[in-house]
Amino acid sequence: MAWLSRPLRARATGSLLWPWLCAASVALSLLMLATLLTLLATRGLGHFWPAELEEVTLHSGDTVIGQPVREAPLPNAAGVERLYFTGNRDIGGESWRWVALDDIDTVAVPDDLIRLERAPWGDFIGRLDEVESAGQRFEDEAAWAFVAHAMTLPESQRPIAQLRLTAANGQIITQPLEGITRFQAPNAMSWEQKVVAWSERIWQFLSEGPRAANTGGGVWPAIFGTVLMVILMSVIVTPFGVLAAIYLNEIAHQNRLTRLVRIGVRNLAGVPSIVYGVFGLGVFVYGIGGSIDSWFFEDALPSPTFGTGGLLWASLTLALLTLPVVIVATEEGLARIPDAQREGAVALGATRLEMLTRVVLPMATPAMLTGVILAVARAAGEVAPLMLVGVAKLAPQMPVDGEFPYLHLERKFMHLGYHLFDTAFHGEDVQAAIPLVFATALLLVLIVLVLNLTAIFLRHYLRRQRGNEC
Amino acid sequence: MTPPRLPFSRQPLRLIHDRIATGLITAGGVGVLLAILAIGVFLVWEALPLLTFGDALSLNTLSPLAWGTLKAALAAMLFATPIALGAAMYSALFMSKRLRSRVKPILELMEAIPGVVVGFIAGLLLAPWVEQQLASTLLVLVWLPLSAGLAGGLWYLASARVRQWLPLSWAGVRLMPWLAIMVTLALWLAPLMEQAWFGGDLRRMLDQQYGLDYATRNALIVGIAMGFAVIPSISSLAEDALADVPANLREGAQALGASRWQALRKVALPTAGPGVFSAVMIGAGRAVGETMIVLMASGNTALFSASPFEGLRSLSASIAIELPEASPGGMTYHLLIFAALALFIFTFLVNTLAEVVRQRLRQRYQRLGGNR
Repeated sequence: MAWLSRPLRARATGSLLWPWLCAASVALSLLMLATLLTLLATRGLGHFWPAELEEVTLHSGDTVIGQPVREAPLPNAAGVERLYFTGNRDIGGESWRWVALDDIDTVAVPDDLIRLERAPWGDFIGRLDEVESAGQRFEDEAAWAFVAHAMTLPESQRPIAQLRLTAANGQIITQPLEGITRFQAPNAMSWEQKVVAWSERIWQFLSEGPRAANTGGGVWPAIFGTVLMVILMSVIVTPFGVLAAIYLNEIAHQNRLTRLVRIGVRNLAGVPSIVYGVFGLGVFVYGIGGSIDSWFFEDALPSPTFGTGGLLWASLTLALLTLPVVIVATEEGLARIPDAQREGAVALGATRLEMLTRVVLPMATPAMLTGVILAVARAAGEVAPLMLVGVAKLAPQMPVDGEFPYLHLERKFMHLGYHLFDTAFHGEDVQAAIPLVFATALLLVLIVLVLNLTAIFLRHYLRRQRGNEC
Repeated sequence: MTPPRLPFSRQPLRLIHDRIATGLITAGGVGVLLAILAIGVFLVWEALPLLTFGDALSLNTLSPLAWGTLKAALAAMLFATPIALGAAMYSALFMSKRLRSRVKPILELMEAIPGVVVGFIAGLLLAPWVEQQLASTLLVLVWLPLSAGLAGGLWYLASARVRQWLPLSWAGVRLMPWLAIMVTLALWLAPLMEQAWFGGDLRRMLDQQYGLDYATRNALIVGIAMGFAVIPSISSLAEDALADVPANLREGAQALGASRWQALRKVALPTAGPGVFSAVMIGAGRAVGETMIVLMASGNTALFSASPFEGLRSLSASIAIELPEASPGGMTYHLLIFAALALFIFTFLVNTLAEVVRQRLRQRYQRLGGNR
């Protein structure tokens, strides 16, 4: 822009370039968020869709049967290769196979390919030959009908049967029916059947425990652990947070000290969560838990009962972590109530307690609710402190069961966020577990976002109501 | 009709109730405040035994971790600050009111996304992708701001009707498809440029000519991921500071002939400067303490290296990994608690400073006649 005079040029860049750069930053943030959410939604939900199985014949004469996953450029040469999930870990040892596109002769999608989910060896992909049950043999259509019928029965009523299966390389194996959890022929399914199968699998994901080293099954214990921990935490944090807020706003004298305390509380919201975890480990687990053990559970020592991470300590730690959130939100609500309301109540003869419980607290309820919801949202997504105070990779027992005292506060529990971290970074077959990790991440994000949206709407409603009053 | 008076005998009971309740609330409130105070006391108390170790004590094990923490925070701030401040300036002063009331909650949602999810995406998807397409990533980082400027230039040259149809006040949303197209374009162009300038493989060239190793999970990835996590908190705080600048100041500047940008640059920014600064400080405090993102996206190698392409290990990640295994009372245990104390003190100081600055600023606005 050399043809412009200097002041004009400065003005042009000033009013053109910078505002647009600023606008682009907003657009970029929104774009990143949208990309993240779309990625989670498509990969997380897409995994449950019954994918088509391909039968690939290579130039070398080999056959590969599997589900195409993704494509990547060849490492050292021009061309593209495709990754197939082939299952059958008991036959070939490998359940993944890279195939260069140039090697492929034909690709077919025959209807008779099946996919089984089995207990010890993970997925089987191949063909069903025949079924043998109580001395009878079923072939072709009859075999299909038999297995399809058997899968609709509850697990305890299924007949004892042996399936003869052919894998891609022609090897024949026998598989007992009892180890099979799902029987699918995705290529033969109609669109409606696929939708039904898809929703069934999502339900399974939400309602079952993990199987096969987290590569199958669901996350129910993790959901249960997260929810239970969060409920316990809010039971602890709500009364204390509200009490502290009432004290700061209604009872304490407003002087330098209260101002300092307020700044301190606000700052605690910015202290890293891992520091709370350290505090929880040192004070709750080793300090209080250790003492409880030496007083009440002496006969169980040296194996600790309360002196190790557990549900109670985790909820206490997170309650401390979210305390500032509740205090700040409640205080904001209390500060918004006009003094005239309080003075009116006192003028009519109410004591301070009556003024608080009949006038102030009902008006501040939405603010308190907002605070608690925000606290729950924060706690549900927090993982770092839990790693120190009681989360488990795989909890053998649920923290709630039929055994007295029903709620076992000392037990370790599973948590969605930690489950995600553990499966993605310490799993045996990370490649096979990734789709489920995506689904877990989607679930966690959904929980947190829904909670936050509720809080945002509550606050919005609150502001509008206040606008009407003033 | 007046309500019947309570019998006299009930009166003292009410007062006693009131006394008891006040006492309980006071006890509860003071107890909570003491519990909060206890965190600091506990950390100091447990870090003190370090002094008894004498010569056996080596703080050297902590120094690469401290370096890693600073490096990760710096990388995140380099990525986040320009975007967050740009977003704050735009949404405080240029964006239409209606759009602003919708974008603000969305940014709040962005802040709420759990770190473990961001870390997972960064460590398992972004990191391998960037390793394969390093040139594309770097090109995108350079090309995006340029393309935004290009959009501004095109808009300036466009006819008045187009300008009315695409006003600047809605550009924050309307630019999204434009940026998406530009990213795709950059991804398409990058291999060609890599072929022409870097001999087809940027990573090999970096290795051979500058001796830079490339780790899959490195400071660059941490910077992008953690930047994503701190952008919303910086931008919402900075935006509050900018939007609260009394309107008559800006209006006065514009009445004297300043353009909107000049009014922002010369009047609003200097006035709100402390607030913007405190927003950046709070963002830095969050970046220093963030655990899961660094743990999952950094490779956790304790190195002294300034290269953005090498891994790092931060204090917080070390605490999360090592503390559950450290035996209570041992030196590692106390060292890690000392690390937690350092994090605590740092974030507490930074946040207090930011809070004090913000309170001063609020008083200044009141003096200047702010009416918001």
